[in-house]
Amino acid sequence: MAATPIIVAENVSKRFGENQVLTRVSLPVMERDVVCVVGPSGSGKTTLLRCLALLEVPSEGRVVMQGLPISTPERSKQVRSAARAVRSDIGMVFQHFNLWPHMSVLENLIEAPVRVKKLPKSEAVAIAEKLLAKVDLLDKRNAYPGRLSGGQQQRVAIARALAMSPKVLLFDEATSALDPELRREVLLVMRQLAQEGMTMLVVTHEMGFARQVGTRTVFMDKGEIVEEAPGAAFFEKPKTERAQRFLQQFEE
Amino acid sequence: MFKYQFRWDIVSGDNLDFLMSGLQMTLIVSAITLVLAMIAGLVIALLDMSRFPPARWVGVTFGEIIRNTPILVQLLWVYYVLPIVFGVRIESLTALIVGLSLYQGAFISEVYRSGIQSVPRGHSEAAQVLGLSPLQNFMRIVLPQAIRMTLPPLASNFVQLIKFSSLGAVISVSEITRRGMELSSTTFRPLEIFTFIAVVYFVICWPLAMGIRVWEAKLRNR
Repeated sequence: MAATPIIVAENVSKRFGENQVLTRVSLPVMERDVVCVVGPSGSGKTTLLRCLALLEVPSEGRVVMQGLPISTPERSKQVRSAARAVRSDIGMVFQHFNLWPHMSVLENLIEAPVRVKKLPKSEAVAIAEKLLAKVDLLDKRNAYPGRLSGGQQQRVAIARALAMSPKVLLFDEATSALDPELRREVLLVMRQLAQEGMTMLVVTHEMGFARQVGTRTVFMDKGEIVEEAPGAAFFEKPKTERAQRFLQQFEE
Repeated sequence: MFKYQFRWDIVSGDNLDFLMSGLQMTLIVSAITLVLAMIAGLVIALLDMSRFPPARWVGVTFGEIIRNTPILVQLLWVYYVLPIVFGVRIESLTALIVGLSLYQGAFISEVYRSGIQSVPRGHSEAAQVLGLSPLQNFMRIVLPQAIRMTLPPLASNFVQLIKFSSLGAVISVSEITRRGMELSSTTFRPLEIFTFIAVVYFVICWPLAMGIRVWEAKLRNR
């Protein structure tokens, strides 16, 4: 295992006006880690993820990628240029997929590789087709997102993120907007990625996934990390009372 | 009812040519004004959404003033007041085009703004995470979706413009309504002439409006 983490939240705090959403959260993500972040809604999980995705700027603390700060409250020139350099190394999958509806599935996948990485179109298409085959949607390459089921859209969104070959993939409640029978197909893809060694940070309510696939479980409540344990250990022996109470809800 | 000898032959021959040259002017003014209004609208919309408060203040104030005063008063103001302020005489045609463009631009700016705001934020966040620059994000993700939303209302604006161009008559622009006024003062046949003109406006505007309705329904069903 690599000694330096891929991406780290260092003492990240976030306030929206009076509302303290994150309080000094520190979380390193190592290579091949599958970190599952669980906790009640409103606990700050998504905000933490959005800070790592550079969609929110921390009020205090910083985000560091492979040794270089990429997000700080001051957003100095140096930090911003470091952020630009690693931007496409951080992939994100959203709760509501956020596919671009005016583009076909294939166009969704090649947009960033062609425009950002300046790949030749033929090469981008070849990569896209390989990824679509991987998520079992090659036959939908020319379909528009509006014609796909939620599960299919989310698999396309995962393929779109993978097309930039990110070093870390962030999942923001990727299955929460899906009907139960559609969740499985998305979770299967995520599980496969984890087995292939993808570094992942997964905000989720899927306790089964966290237990079976996660290498580390992080329990958050009220904007703080309350408890952290490797893999399934958190589920077998939660140490804090808050975590015990949280897990009890899933037992019925 | 009332005894009236209709003389529809008034609108034929030279008189018809006279009115039709006015129609040509009406359509030219409407087309030029639409292009200018779309540009004015973009400027106002960008000012409205600017990150700099003074720019926003200018855009909002200008838009509110234009939208909340009558177009007729604005035209008279441009035609009579601007020359006093700047000391130059403005052609009536120029005054009509400028006045109408600003008026319609102020409404079109709202069309643009709602079009841009109708694109879910998540779509541009996804683009941001994938590394698209703010410009690429706007041009490739936001704008194509916003345009789809704004085309039908823009087309409705064009119908409006054709009708509003008749106001050019009061500052003596020789569009079709003005021509009608002139013709009726020499022939004393306002009934035939203005009825004919109303029909001409309707025949142009109604199919346009209907076409837009069909188009909007199609966009919705996609």
